[in-house]
Amino acid sequence: MSQKRIAKELAELVESPPEGIKVELADESDLYLWNVYMEGPEGSPFQNGKFLVKLKLPTEYPFKPPAVSFGTKIYHPNVTNDDKGSMCLGMLRPDEWKPSSKIAAVLQFARQLLVEPMPDDAVEGRIAEQYKNDRARYDELAKEWTRKYATA
Amino acid sequence: MSLSGIPWNHFDPLNHFPPRPDSAADFYPQYLSSSAFFNHGLPQLSSVLYAESPAFFNMNALSAEEMERFQKLSNEFEAELPGPLVSPKQSSSAVALEYANSDPTFATKTSALAVTHPFMRIMKGDGNCGWRAIAFGYFESLLNLRNSLQVHQEHERIKSLNVLLQQVGQEEHIYGIFVEATEEIFTQISEAIQRGVRDDQFLVDAFNDEYNSSAILCHFRFLTSAWMRLNPHRYQAFLSLPVDQYCSSRIDPTKTEIDEVGLQALVDGVIDASGFAVEILYLDRSEGTAVTPHQLTQNRPTAATIRLLYRPGHYDLLYQPEPTVNMEPVVNYQYAMTSNYPAWDQGALPFDVGSISMSIPNLMVDPSFGGLGASPMPADPSSPFRVSSPQEMYPQPPMNTPPPPMPVASPPPPRMSAPPPPMSSLPPRSTDGPQIRLNPLVMKPNLSHSLPVTTPFKNSPYNQAHFQNQDFEPIHWAPHESRK
Repeated sequence: MSQKRIAKELAELVESPPEGIKVELADESDLYLWNVYMEGPEGSPFQNGKFLVKLKLPTEYPFKPPAVSFGTKIYHPNVTNDDKGSMCLGMLRPDEWKPSSKIAAVLQFARQLLVEPMPDDAVEGRIAEQYKNDRARYDELAKEWTRKYATA
Repeated sequence: MSLSGIPWNHFDPLNHFPPRPDSAADFYPQYLSSSAFFNHGLPQLSSVLYAESPAFFNMNALSAEEMERFQKLSNEFEAELPGPLVSPKQSSSAVALEYANSDPTFATKTSALAVTHPFMRIMKGDGNCGWRAIAFGYFESLLNLRNSLQVHQEHERIKSLNVLLQQVGQEEHIYGIFVEATEEIFTQISEAIQRGVRDDQFLVDAFNDEYNSSAILCHFRFLTSAWMRLNPHRYQAFLSLPVDQYCSSRIDPTKTEIDEVGLQALVDGVIDASGFAVEILYLDRSEGTAVTPHQLTQNRPTAATIRLLYRPGHYDLLYQPEPTVNMEPVVNYQYAMTSNYPAWDQGALPFDVGSISMSIPNLMVDPSFGGLGASPMPADPSSPFRVSSPQEMYPQPPMNTPPPPMPVASPPPPRMSAPPPPMSSLPPRSTDGPQIRLNPLVMKPNLSHSLPVTTPFKNSPYNQAHFQNQDFEPIHWAPHESRK
């Protein structure tokens, strides 16, 4: 049953993708692993960057939330600064996940997070601290990383 | 940004921090990111340490980061819960055993419970137990009634509730798969009834299938949420936040336990129109010798009652005794004397009631008590062995009900299938003279062979925690997993 819904959502996203978001299956034979290419939103330090976001759907989808991680390195308070690049926030938390939420909403949420980080919910405390207290330096570093890692 | 003033080398034994694959090390010293270890391991030392350079170290921020990590671990933590999502029907004496050694109030209430409600199903405590208990109880009641027409009607009714979902803007392709799962259960029940299958195993299996079960519960959550949003006036007064917010934080997410308001809304919006009754029996430390019942549906004649046992934070399903063939009225009644009862209709009796100090045992065995010994209608919400206020026990007869003719000194014929008449058909009684009343406490089924319900004394062999009790099991101490 989960496959039916996933296939439907995938078709919708391919047909009418939200702004700055392009999705495809990482492997044509696996409906549960998606590659998402996300453009850094204009006006954010991630502008002009192109980020690979990996979306992994659990077999229990939609009863359990998808997992979102950045395959491209990104300087952001809500993305772990390791090789996992995982993001776990708000609607993606297992205890806050609603089966009525759609993947499109998840991806738009993730992209919006690039514009407005949530430092109070940070996984990288130092970056959050810097975001709050020294925005100029944060912007500078985020831009630098974007240039370094997110422009191919 | 120099840390040279800090004597890091003094902490050699602790300098074995796992290196984090942290590229921020370009900007901050590697050991900084590990400083939270000091916060936890050596609070005093670390505060002395950081006190030397408070401007640079923001301890709150660092420990917040660490807290965030713990929070994440905690959010992702899922306890390994034993047992199926819905257990087979089992004896509720297990609950009594569980509490035999505890607080006497619980011991008393649970041992009484094992008598009044001898069976139960344990729901897995995974955050959905209340939802699951109601949903399973609903379908099980439907199956037990074995009425194909009713199953069909209920199927159509639940399907028609899709309108609610559309009204709150849910999309068909989102809720469709959940509704399908529910419809599949209706179909299975219909088939089982038509084929004469008595075994309810298929229903238990369906509810133990993780995906199926989640889909049905999700459907019920959707309906409850829509119902509340469409009828906010009924619930707003009981909530501390707006109905919309309540629904999106307490009803819609998959892992939120149902609370009282949500439960009432689920019953109102989804279950009530089936005509089934829903009753919660609260097992708590309140006064009394039995669990406290609370009816969530209106008091009305009903074909089935879904009974939940509530223990703080958890719901299970409870069942009253199965109907038995032994319908002989219980003789071992106790009587209470009083002159304070509602009027007795003298005309219904061939002798002068007031002048006789009666000791005729069966005189007061009116029909509703007659069916009691083993009521074929466990669903009757007005069952007198529900311990409740005296007013509920002996309701005033409504004035417009003509008193039925009352056979004197002869027990009512055994009832095999018909429900006992509701309590409100009790004949009116005369005000003068002492009269005999049955003590409801001795009316509990299956107790005819014993004394009225009493608390088993802690040092009596009737207490299941007593070593001479036949069910006694010594507690085996075992080290906790983490300490092995």
